[in-house]
Amino acid sequence: MKLNERSVAHYATCDSPPDKTGFLLKKGERNTAYHRRWFVLKGNMLFYFEERDGREPIGVIVLEGCTVELCESAEEFAFAVKFDCAKARVYKMSAESQAAMESWVKALSRASFDYMRLVVKELERQLEEIHEAGVGVGGPQGRPKTARPNQVARSRSGVSSSSLPWRESLQEDVQLTSDSSKENGDAWSRPPPVALANGFVEGASCAAWEGCVDSARAPPVPPRRRGASLESPVSPGTDCFSKLHDWYGREVEELRTQWLHSQ
Amino acid sequence: MRFNEKELASLSRQPSEMAAELGMRGPKKGDVVKRRLVKLVVNFLFYFRTDEEEPIGALLLEQCRVEREDSRSFSIAFLDEAERKYLFECDSGEQCGEWVDSIIKASYEFMRKNLIFYRTEIHRLTGKDPLEQYGISDETRFQVNNGLQLVSRDTSSL
Repeated sequence: MKLNERSVAHYATCDSPPDKTGFLLKKGERNTAYHRRWFVLKGNMLFYFEERDGREPIGVIVLEGCTVELCESAEEFAFAVKFDCAKARVYKMSAESQAAMESWVKALSRASFDYMRLVVKELERQLEEIHEAGVGVGGPQGRPKTARPNQVARSRSGVSSSSLPWRESLQEDVQLTSDSSKENGDAWSRPPPVALANGFVEGASCAAWEGCVDSARAPPVPPRRRGASLESPVSPGTDCFSKLHDWYGREVEELRTQWLHSQ
Repeated sequence: MRFNEKELASLSRQPSEMAAELGMRGPKKGDVVKRRLVKLVVNFLFYFRTDEEEPIGALLLEQCRVEREDSRSFSIAFLDEAERKYLFECDSGEQCGEWVDSIIKASYEFMRKNLIFYRTEIHRLTGKDPLEQYGISDETRFQVNNGLQLVSRDTSSL
């Protein structure tokens, strides 16, 4: 069977962020010794390279439909990727520590497209429920009356608005009603502009919780609700500052966590 | 590059929402339009000879661009070789529109963006992270800033 191998290999090495990377021992296909390989997990594709800075993967394991199990092996911290089809290969691997093994098993078991789809559908359903419930509670705005620190997070984006093109849509003065929640649903299923690169090509600078969105590629952001004031991060007033202070604290903490995670 | 062909062939037999006979033309010069059974399963587009059970080939639909070429046909090109296009001819404009829409949504990266959007929205509206109840809020693939890049930021205005 043919595969668009060049493009698949490009996906492995392009700058879309991987879900997990690391060294694992992998049992060979013909030669049954274990070989140390550099693994890169992106979506439902597990690539492996001869070396960490390899330019092209030696191979890829399509993970859709697989199960991941711990297994008996001469090697410590061993696990296996298994498939449910006839004469399927079993991919035996071993990690460098208990923690690494558990982390890989977790990541690989949640790697399938189907799993992601389930989670997305569940969140979509939850959001719909929130919109429907919100209509009765907060009046036409459909939102809780207490101001949230997150509101400041939105306005914070003003500082680097050039890198957040979708911020303009926050200025739209549209009321959120039950009708427009349907609209949101429709907006969701309406296809983005036709010539669309579904690859996540650019890294956009963005704050935690605001999401990395590029208006040409991302799903449409629902319009801001009428009445929510857009607080400027540099406006005077102690009220604004304390919220800002809290928000910066959180942002720094999240960035720090991410940076540590990347080490 | 090695890949698990048997498992991929098995995947091609899974139920699919989008499967139809279309005209298909490969990206190489001299390729002509041939009638193929085209089937979309997760983020793969499989294509079969119309009377065969095993697919001739598969296209992984990540990092690709889908474009309407005319009223009834669309193309798929991959970002690393944007001039090489796979062309698909449909029976109607409506069918063409459906295929374009489905393929755009058939990438893992597209779904990831959706998820991040919903997660952010729900958190904004409720103050709660909807993934916490499933114990997956720390998973890299669900992060707002997915994975291992440190985002640089202009802080000069502070």
